[in-house]
Amino acid sequence: MKKIYLDYAATTPVDKRAVKAMLPYFAEKFGNTMSLHFFGQESKLALEQSRETIAGLIKAKRPASGYPEIVFTSSATESNNLVLKGIAFANKNKGNNIIISSIEHPCIIESAKWLEKQGFEVTKIKVDKYGMVNPKDIEKAIKKETILVSIIHASNEIGTIQSIEEIGKICRQKGVYFHTDASQSFGKIPIDVNKMNVDLLTASSHKIYGPKGAGLLYIRDGVKIEPLLHGGGQENGLRASTMNLAAIIGFAKAVEICKKEMKTENVRLTNLRDKLIKGLLKIEGCKLNGHPKKRLSNNVNVWFSFVEGESLVMQLDLHGISCSTGSACSSIKLEPSPVLLAIGLKPQEAHGSLRVSLGRFTTEKEINKLIKVLPGIVKKIREISPFK
Amino acid sequence: MAKNNNICGGLYTKKVLKTFQNPHNYGKIKNADGIGKVGNIVCLLPDQNIHINSNVKEINNISNKDRVLSHNGEYNFVESGVKRNYEGEVITLKNKLGSVSLTPDHLIFAIKLPEGDKFLRTKNRKGLVPAWYHASQLKKGDIILYPILKQEQDLKYIEINIPKPKWDFKSFNIPDKVSLHSDLLRLFGYFLSEGNVQDKPCRTFITFTLNIKEKDIVNDIKEISKKIFNIKAIVRERPETKTVVVSLYSAKLARFFKQIFGNGAKDKKIPNFIMSLPSEKQKSLIYGLWKGDGCVNLNRDGARAGFVTISQSIAQQLKVLLLRQKIAPSIYIEKQKIVKGVNHQKSYRIHVGQRESLINLCSIMGIKYSPKSYPSEKAWFDDDYLYIPITNIKEKKYKGLVYNLEVKDSHSFVSEAFCVHNCGDVMWLYIKIAENKKKEEVIKDIKFETFGCVAAISTSSVITDLAKGKTIKDALEIKKDEIIKSLGGLPYIKYHCSVLAIDALNEAIYDYFLKNKKEISAGLQKKHDAIKKSKEIIEKRYEKWA
Repeated sequence: MKKIYLDYAATTPVDKRAVKAMLPYFAEKFGNTMSLHFFGQESKLALEQSRETIAGLIKAKRPASGYPEIVFTSSATESNNLVLKGIAFANKNKGNNIIISSIEHPCIIESAKWLEKQGFEVTKIKVDKYGMVNPKDIEKAIKKETILVSIIHASNEIGTIQSIEEIGKICRQKGVYFHTDASQSFGKIPIDVNKMNVDLLTASSHKIYGPKGAGLLYIRDGVKIEPLLHGGGQENGLRASTMNLAAIIGFAKAVEICKKEMKTENVRLTNLRDKLIKGLLKIEGCKLNGHPKKRLSNNVNVWFSFVEGESLVMQLDLHGISCSTGSACSSIKLEPSPVLLAIGLKPQEAHGSLRVSLGRFTTEKEINKLIKVLPGIVKKIREISPFK
Repeated sequence: MAKNNNICGGLYTKKVLKTFQNPHNYGKIKNADGIGKVGNIVCLLPDQNIHINSNVKEINNISNKDRVLSHNGEYNFVESGVKRNYEGEVITLKNKLGSVSLTPDHLIFAIKLPEGDKFLRTKNRKGLVPAWYHASQLKKGDIILYPILKQEQDLKYIEINIPKPKWDFKSFNIPDKVSLHSDLLRLFGYFLSEGNVQDKPCRTFITFTLNIKEKDIVNDIKEISKKIFNIKAIVRERPETKTVVVSLYSAKLARFFKQIFGNGAKDKKIPNFIMSLPSEKQKSLIYGLWKGDGCVNLNRDGARAGFVTISQSIAQQLKVLLLRQKIAPSIYIEKQKIVKGVNHQKSYRIHVGQRESLINLCSIMGIKYSPKSYPSEKAWFDDDYLYIPITNIKEKKYKGLVYNLEVKDSHSFVSEAFCVHNCGDVMWLYIKIAENKKKEEVIKDIKFETFGCVAAISTSSVITDLAKGKTIKDALEIKKDEIIKSLGGLPYIKYHCSVLAIDALNEAIYDYFLKNKKEISAGLQKKHDAIKKSKEIIEKRYEKWA
């Protein structure tokens, strides 16, 4: 049986073109970017070219000061940690309030929790039933002590895309740093850090067919931030540690491919997504989570009444289809997904959620297969269930 | 056990997946003879019990004659102790009541506090939902629920059936049966703290050694012994040691005291019939004990009452007694030491400093105490539990045997992995009963309906296979281990699913018995009550979600 992978929001396979670009950087071009000799300079050049390529995708500039606005990290989690902790500690003389939304990724929520323990104050902005943050709520929440607003660009679970431009504008007017976690949207929808009034932006390589182990943080020139890692002064002192060049080269190649294919890919995936949503909603007791329009072209998130998510995912897996769920049963903590609870689902509803995320290698045939097998699986689980 | 470790991450065995894909016996039975409905869609099932005071080192001494306090507030007999080899981390959790060492996967009934301390305010306490957590998930500050002993058995009289020794010609004669009321319990209290039995042939009697200033106790002992046993207490003052010795010359009474309380200050204990008396009556015992070995100091900075004993049993038992009076004690161990050449044995100190607790203790002691300030309290009571925060957590490496207990009647376990969390599985079992050739009742047909995860569906299927064709008696004997074994193992965090299946079967049989007006054994009734109660608690706690 051919396996069907529909969990691209979790991670993606590395594109073969990216693999090819990376290969020389393991055994041949292995130099340390900090070295002065030939090997070092060869690496340094490749690193800066990669940075240039990626900066081009989000319209980041190389400012007059000469320091690039992009800092490479190991992952989006690291970037988000760097933003929250770095901004908080660099700006604590200005204030101690940080604003986030209630549907952030755990790496933001947990970092914020940690900051609370260090004496910072965290304001969580509620979302509506589609998972949208109302920019007016942010405007109301910003106070004298606020130093940072961090709102996820597109939700990793329900795919809802926020009005980042508007929120950014408010933050700009109020003079507060604005960060967005674009791990899920980067490379999939156009991003322009200037137009969107973003001061900081997080992105990740392995969500866009690049290798794991590379992420980035865009930091607008002039933003005051403290590093997490101190050491040899790499990345303008903002992130010490020898550069993981091969991964960065792969990341840059992946960005290049995304940039080239974004428009056509978006249209293709949107069509597949809408077809899938339409197909799934035909199943009795199925509802869509997240915004019907303002959502990532590759994200489908639904819930089925009287169906438990772990059973659903495992049944699909036995049919060779890989998806994910926000059900409590499947998480290590045995707690339902906080994002689904934040958009107003009851625990028992979050229980029956299913996330299908499409990607570059998803075909219409695969979507058809899912639409075909799912009703039978749901029916079977409901047959076993005492609730009907 | 060790083999199961590799599936701990949440991966299922092939057998589980096979059963999950093709479950047996699902669906409904029309006109079922019994239906068992267990589980709750919204959340956890706190229907497993745990003896929090278990200790990796001491648990090995527990035999199946012992009883342990379960989380439903009852003393239950230990059915069996399971031991296994263990190498790895051991977590020591400390709170004011003492410390306990557990493996990280051990479950504890506790509350994880949301961020911020506002949840500790009285009005927010109701919203806190206790659940079972693995020891490794708990942090300093999380609240542990300590059960309050609920079982009560009043006793109006006690019989003193000690034959009079042959050589005893001169000791005072005492009645064979005396009523068990507050005066006697107070005397018991004095004895437990200050008393001693001299047990030599022809010289068997009870002595109380008191401070020369404790005249009120001396008079109380005199009066009580006169009134109840018609014994004249002999009082001898010894000004050189600043003590006064009160002696009761009755060999029979002395032997009786020795029999029920043990002898030697270190080995004294409170007998079970006193432990299960109504809490109102026990106040007199606490009065006697505290009057003897305790003190109440309301004048120091931070009013406090203290009690010292060298008997570990007395310290632990007094803790249980105090909890029933809604008094939260703190227990400290004082190491053996030599002060000014005098050897002080290892002792146990009980302190009561919490405001509400001290008020309750003072009312027992008849002391007036009306504090003015209202300090914030981190520990509190409800009818069933003392809620008390973890004060310290330590991890250390351990290699050796670890023990678990299975506790009778409350299907409670002090066990390694009964995570009963927000998994929210619901299981309904239908049974059809028929008679076999021997005229025994047999489960002729059984079907299930389950809302839940892979493990819940697989365990449902397995229990129907296991129960089908069995006599009711045998079906009630099915153990969780059998279910887990027939699935080739389950991830630890899914063990609770197997317990859920057993609960469902018990409930179905209970339902059948009830409908047909058959005799229900005390054990089954107890199980049913426990399941029902936990269900009610959860539904109440989760009203806001419904």
